[in-house]
Formats: sequence, C-alpha cells, structure tokens
Amino acid sequence: MVQFIAKRLLFLPVVMLGVTMLLFAALQFLSPAMRAALYIKDPRQLASLDQVIQKYGLDKPMPVQYGIWLKQLMRGDLGYSETAKMPVADAIKSFFPATFELTCVAFLPILAIGVYFGVLSAVYKDRWLDQLSRFVAITGYSLPSFVLGLLLLMVFYGRLQWFPPGRYSLDVDLLVHSASFRHYTGLLTVDTLLNGQWSAFVDVAKHLVLPAVTLIYIELALLLRITRSSMLEELGKDYIRTAKAKGLPGSVIVRKHALKNALIPVVTLSSLLFVGLLSGVVITETVFDFPGIGRWGIEAAQQLDVPAVLGATLLAAGLFVLANLVSDILYAFVDPRIRIG
Amino acid sequence: MTRLLLAALLAAGPSLAAAAETVKNPESFTEITISDADSMDPAWAYDTASDMAILNIYETLFMFDGASTEKLVPLLATKVPSHANGLISADGRVYTIPIRNGVRFQDGTPMTPDDVRYSIIRFMLYDRDAGPSSLLLQPLLGYTSTRDDKGRIKPRCYQDAARAVRVRGNDLILTLPKPFAPLLTILAMWAPVVSRKWAAGHGAWDGSGKTWEKFNNPEKQSSPFFERANGTGPFRLQRWDRRTMEIVLSRNERYWRKPARLARVIVKGINEFSTRKLMLAAGDADSIFADASQYDQVRGLPGVQITTGLPTVELNPVVFFTYHVNPIANPNIRSAELDGRGIPPDFFADPDVRKGFAYAFDYQGYIRDVMRGMGLQSTGCVPSSLPGHNPNQRTYTFDLKKSEEHFRKAMGGQVWKKGFEFTLAYNSGNVERETVAQILKRYVESLNPKFRVDVRPIEWPEFLDDYISSKLPIFIMAWQADYPDPHNFAFPLLDSQGSYPVAQKFADPRIDKLIDSAITETEMSRRKKLYYKIQELEYEDVPHLLIVDPVVFRTQRDWVRGWVNNPVLPDAPYGSYYYPVYKAAPVKKG
Repeated sequence: MVQFIAKRLLFLPVVMLGVTMLLFAALQFLSPAMRAALYIKDPRQLASLDQVIQKYGLDKPMPVQYGIWLKQLMRGDLGYSETAKMPVADAIKSFFPATFELTCVAFLPILAIGVYFGVLSAVYKDRWLDQLSRFVAITGYSLPSFVLGLLLLMVFYGRLQWFPPGRYSLDVDLLVHSASFRHYTGLLTVDTLLNGQWSAFVDVAKHLVLPAVTLIYIELALLLRITRSSMLEELGKDYIRTAKAKGLPGSVIVRKHALKNALIPVVTLSSLLFVGLLSGVVITETVFDFPGIGRWGIEAAQQLDVPAVLGATLLAAGLFVLANLVSDILYAFVDPRIRIG
Repeated sequence: MTRLLLAALLAAGPSLAAAAETVKNPESFTEITISDADSMDPAWAYDTASDMAILNIYETLFMFDGASTEKLVPLLATKVPSHANGLISADGRVYTIPIRNGVRFQDGTPMTPDDVRYSIIRFMLYDRDAGPSSLLLQPLLGYTSTRDDKGRIKPRCYQDAARAVRVRGNDLILTLPKPFAPLLTILAMWAPVVSRKWAAGHGAWDGSGKTWEKFNNPEKQSSPFFERANGTGPFRLQRWDRRTMEIVLSRNERYWRKPARLARVIVKGINEFSTRKLMLAAGDADSIFADASQYDQVRGLPGVQITTGLPTVELNPVVFFTYHVNPIANPNIRSAELDGRGIPPDFFADPDVRKGFAYAFDYQGYIRDVMRGMGLQSTGCVPSSLPGHNPNQRTYTFDLKKSEEHFRKAMGGQVWKKGFEFTLAYNSGNVERETVAQILKRYVESLNPKFRVDVRPIEWPEFLDDYISSKLPIFIMAWQADYPDPHNFAFPLLDSQGSYPVAQKFADPRIDKLIDSAITETEMSRRKKLYYKIQELEYEDVPHLLIVDPVVFRTQRDWVRGWVNNPVLPDAPYGSYYYPVYKAAPVKKG
C-alpha cells in the first residue's frame, strides 16, 4: 500500500507539469503585447509595453518563455490581479479560505446523506423512501442554484431572519478586523473558536447555513442517484444471490458485500464533487454575497483578468490532481485488486 | 419563475413588517451599492463611489447649504467671499478667503492656511489623465492641463500655481487670470484639504517647486492617499477592503464641530439586486442602490421609504464612442481590422458609424419601459435643470431605416459588406446601463447578420482604467455635475480637453471655441445662445448618445433621519453626506 501511495505521489509533479504546459500553450494564443499586459498594473504602463515584453522575455522562443514562466510560478509569482487589486497568489490566499470553509460544511453532509439514502433507495427500490429520494434528486438537480438560493434567502432571511447573507454580521465584522483578533487559519469558524469568541462562532456558522444548504440540495442529487444505481447493480449480481442463499442477514449483505463494491464510482464522483466545490461555487457565492474564490474567478473572467483566471485554473487543476490522488488511494482501500494490479 | 419569487417575497411580508418596528444597529449606517471606489486620493478620485467616501473624510472650504445647489455656507473657510462683503475684488479676479482656526486633522495635527494652499496646488499639479485637476487649473491658471499635446510637462505650472494661490496671514488669496463665475461652487466640491506634513511624511509631494514634476500624472496606487486618509471631516477611513468592496468609516471623535451622530458608516458593494433588497427589507441595510427598473420591486416593502421625483443634475446613461481606440493589448477590438472579426481603432471616427448607432436605439421605449417614465429624452448636454438647456434642440430618434442608410455609407461601404465585432462595456451591477447595451446590441445586430456586439460587464475600477486608456470602443457612463453650471456639462462632455473627449480622442475646434466664449460671458442670455450653438454642433458630431434627462428616487429604511438630497453631491441620491444622518424609530401614525 505504501509503495502504491509513493508511486502516486511521485507521479504528482509530472501531472502538474503537464497542467502547466497546457496552460502555457493556451497562453500562446495571446499576442506578446497581450501577454505583456498581464504584468501591467496601471494603464499608464501600456506606453512602455515593449520594455515589459523584453523584461519578461515574451519575444523569446517558446521553450525559453516556458522556462521563465515556470520559474515565476515556482516563486509563487502568478502575476497581478486587477480584479482583486493584489497579486494573484495573495488573492488566492485571501479568497480560498472562505470557499474551503463553505465546501467543508457542505461536503460532509452531501457525502453522508448521499451515500446513506442512495443505499437505502436501492435496498427499498420503488418503495416510498426510494420515491422520496428520487423526488429530492430530481428537484435538486433541476432547480437552478440561484432560484433555490433566493428562495431560501427570502424565507429564512427575509421572513424568519434566521440566516443572513454575507460571511458575518456587523458586530463580527468589527471583531474580526480588530487588532485583538488573530487569524490563525482564515477559516472563521475555526478562528473564532481559537480566539474564544463563541458568539462570533455562532454568527459565522449562521451565515454558512443557507449557502451550505443550497449546495447540499443541488449537489446531493448526483451522488444519491449514482450510489443508488451502483448499489442496484451490485445487489443484482450472482455473489449477492449466493450470499442470500447461504442465509446471510440482509444488513450484512448490504454493508459488507454490496456497499464496498458499489463504492468505486461513489468515490470517483465524491472527489470530483469536492474539487468542484473548492474551485468555487460561483452562483451560490454571488447570491449569498459570500467572498469566495468562485465569485472572484467569475469577475476575473468577465474582466479578462488573465493572470487571475490562470491562477484560478492552476489552483483548480492542482486540486483536481490532488483529489485524483486521494480517490486513487481510496480505491486501493476499497478494492485491493487495484493496488496489486 | 419571477412570479414564484415574488410570491415568496410577498409571503415574507408580515415578518418584514415586524422588523420595521425596531431600529437595527442604531449607531451604524449600512449603504449597499454596486460600485467599489477607485481611489481615496482627493486629487485622483473622479468617480462618484470614491468621491462619496472622500466627501465624508475630507472637507472643502465651503459646502452647499442643505439641498441648495446655489447657496454656499462656509466650512473650512469662515466666510463665503462675495462682492458685497468685499472678499471678491471689483474686477472679479482676486478672492480673499479667511481660513478657520481650531480645526485638526484626524491625526491630531492642526490645519493651517498653508495646508489649504498645498491642497489646492497639489490638486492642480497632480493632473492625472482624465482626472479632475482641470476643474481648478482652468479658472486659476487659465489652462486645463499641465502637459502639452505631446504629453510633455509645461515648465512654469508650479510658478503659475504659486502665484495664483497664496497665503496672507490667515487668509487664502486666489488670483485668477480672468473672471470665472462658478469658482466658489467648484471649491465647495473639489480640492478638499489634506495635511501637507502628513503627505510629505508618507512619500507624497512635499509642496516644493523642485519636485512637483515627479508627482505629475502618477500611477494610481503610488500615492499614499490611495488607500489611507487623514482629513478634517466627520468620519475617518477605518478600512477599505477592495476584496469585499467594502468601505468602513468611523466617527471622528475629535471633529471640530459636534461629532457625527452615527458611529460608523459601511458602504458595501453587492451586485446582486435580490440580496440588496432582502438586506434592506431585513434592516441590515439602511439604504440601497435601486434604479428605475427595480422601482416596482422596492415599492411597498414594509419599513422602507421611497422618495420619488428627486431632481438631478446629471445625464445618465450616456453612450460614448471612442474615436481612436488604443489597440495595444486590447481584446475589445478583436482583430483590430475591418475584416468582420474586429474593428479598426478608428472605427468610430467615421460619423456614419456613430449615426448608425444613434438611430439604432429606442429612446422612448427605454424611457417608458426601463426608466418607468422617470425622465425625458435628453436634447443636449445641458440638462433641463440648468440654464442653457434647449428643449427644442434636434435629437436622434429610433429609426432603423436611417440607421441602415448610415451603416451602408460607413467607411466607403466596407462596414456593411464585411461586418464587425467588438466589445460594448458597462459597469457590473448597473442594470440600466446593461439594458442600454442590450438594446443597442439587439437593434444593431438585427440590421446585418455580420454585425456583432459583445456586451460585457466590468467592475467599476477596472472599467475606469479601461476607458481612461481608450481601450473601450463604446462605453456607457454618466455625467453628474461637479458643480451646477452648464459649463460643467459642455466642457467635460465636449471640449477636447474635457475628461470624456480626452479618453474618446474627440475634438471639434468649433466647439472648443464656443465653450471658451461661454465661460467668460457674464450676460446669461448671451451665454444661453452660445450653449444652444454648442448643442447643435453636438447633434451634428454625435460623439455620444444622450438618452435621458432623469428624475430619480431614493430607497432607504424609514428609520433614517437627517438625509438631505442635494443632487450635486457625489452619487446622489444613493450616496450621502453622513454628518447630519442618524437613525430613530419611525413615528407610528394614528
């Protein structure tokens, strides 16, 4: 197992190198002047574009340019984001924790509910529980997130005043920007607790509820249906029939035999889902005024803020590669044939 | 789906009414808008979002008296100069302005007449491209730029400025090359007082004649004033978070007048209207930006007060054509050639192209359906609230046949034959401007399948950067008066040195000459005739499309007190001068 994980880890930089090559190749569709503009922070500098081209070697052969660009990446120099008004690396550091926090809060319930009810739907096929989960899946999948988000806001904020938009309320805003508040992780739920601010923690948690519920409802559908269909496939196989014929109890058949085999596609989907959420949930963040990486990414794309888009893409690609690694490792745990073969 | 959402909102009604009974965050005022500020530097800022924050942090010599756009009251001065009190010389060229004692900057240092002098000179000599410096350069030095046509610095600017702005004892003495009627109203809005010592200590210009050129037309973020502030005003800049588009102002406890009643003002940008509306309804926002197209959605919200029919001194929106687009690293003009996949940089220099666009906009439909009838079609650059407005001026009408005729003639028939593609930009979150863009796109594209207009939203600060560097072939903006005078519309919109024509690369020497005559003309009837001629040439040149002369409304919680609409103040009626504002529970009727 250790050998398997080590192999995968060694392969990781190669994959990332491939990703940078693809990104760099995409960048070549822009003219040298357009690429030089990526390094410009003020419109006035457009006059000295030639100097910028020379400074960054944008008129040099492609492999040389790639080498220079890669060196910059290694130094963490991803350029300057006009949208965020700060270097791209700083912008990622600044926006990512909010998205990460939201993702964590949403992902665990998605995984738990999706797998649990997916399995139950398969076991109780065409019974009321299956019908209910089908209803949840279909409505969740077909309901645009902005509609669900707005409806939730109207009811739980507009009517009941329970869960406001944004990341925190006015009092907490003052607290987290005060000199006495220490930012340990950037995750406000964690930081408020570490600062011993219980009421601030409750406030931050309240602000996470609606965007998390929106994400859970929208993203749950796919996992629920995939788990169900995967389980149904396993439950119809010969070895399950044999187990039943041997007189094994139903719960053992489901938990010990069918579920383990049905988990492979679930693991794949879950990792993709996690990366999807981490890369930014644009509409949810916009509707709930949640300052995450998705909202920044879309604003950057709208404004042709190429360094920001490249940075966000690189981050998404890196996360995807990592998620793939994790899912590969999980496959090996779920199905030993994978690590042996 | 809209019905469903509205139904849900109606269902939310009763509890929103409950929210109206108590004042939420009574010492804080939260304004939710759509734009982030561009800079906190008073010499740089020339946009409403920035100027609104600056208005509350810094102070000018005079201010408008409440809602008046004419009557001034002293602020950092102790008297408003006039011929009657002898503080304006008989020939109208020398102004003596007594400066108030006992005023301190927010860092605790006293304000002196030398700070006032420094601030006015810095405001002029800073002179960034398409910035506000010309507002004082023109009356005080007699020219509108510190640089010549080739961008070279004029060598004697500092000496001219030092001669025009002097200190004698506790008085500031301004000496003009020739009379300039709106000078005091300009000083009521511009060149707020900054601390010379603080500026020099933080790396800004030290006020010396030897170093000023280094600070002329600088990069935006190079100024220490860009994101820090030290004014004399009722509020301090506590935080400007460009990541979340949030400005937090806190009360200046050492303010020379009685401190403000609000302890804190938060101005936050949220582009999603539904979120803004819900925050207003829940009382988490005290005032929100809502335009005419959103009027029906905020009307009748419990606890929300709508004040309608507010006069404006503005033209909004205005569609500007850039005659010579900056082609360097500019994806907005695609191939940069007339090959059907882009436009050449001088595409809009062709009058037939501009007229083609002018006839392809449904002005009346826009005013009726989008503006909910809140305004009339603009007849020229001088709005109806100012002298010089000509209600009988010829205007463009919606006429697709004429539009097609002009497009067929444009660029020797090549435009019609080859087609075009470019980006039409507006600032994110502004629904009215987005609608204007979509209407133009729809009708222009309907004329010829080879015509393609891509509508794109851009965040406000980037939008400003792009238009200033002439990178936007068409851009939609507005003009709100810097001071209430027709010159302040004719000059920035039509003079070759005005902020928009500079970015558009538009110049008509006939118009320049008429504007120059109009500002020195003291007889109003003759002045009016000159502005009529200017607006006729504006119609012929069509450097921009003037759409509507609007009336506006303000949306705020009914617990807001003390707000006064002065249409001249930045971002009115959405933005505010927060000093007199406070919150108190609404008095129940019956």
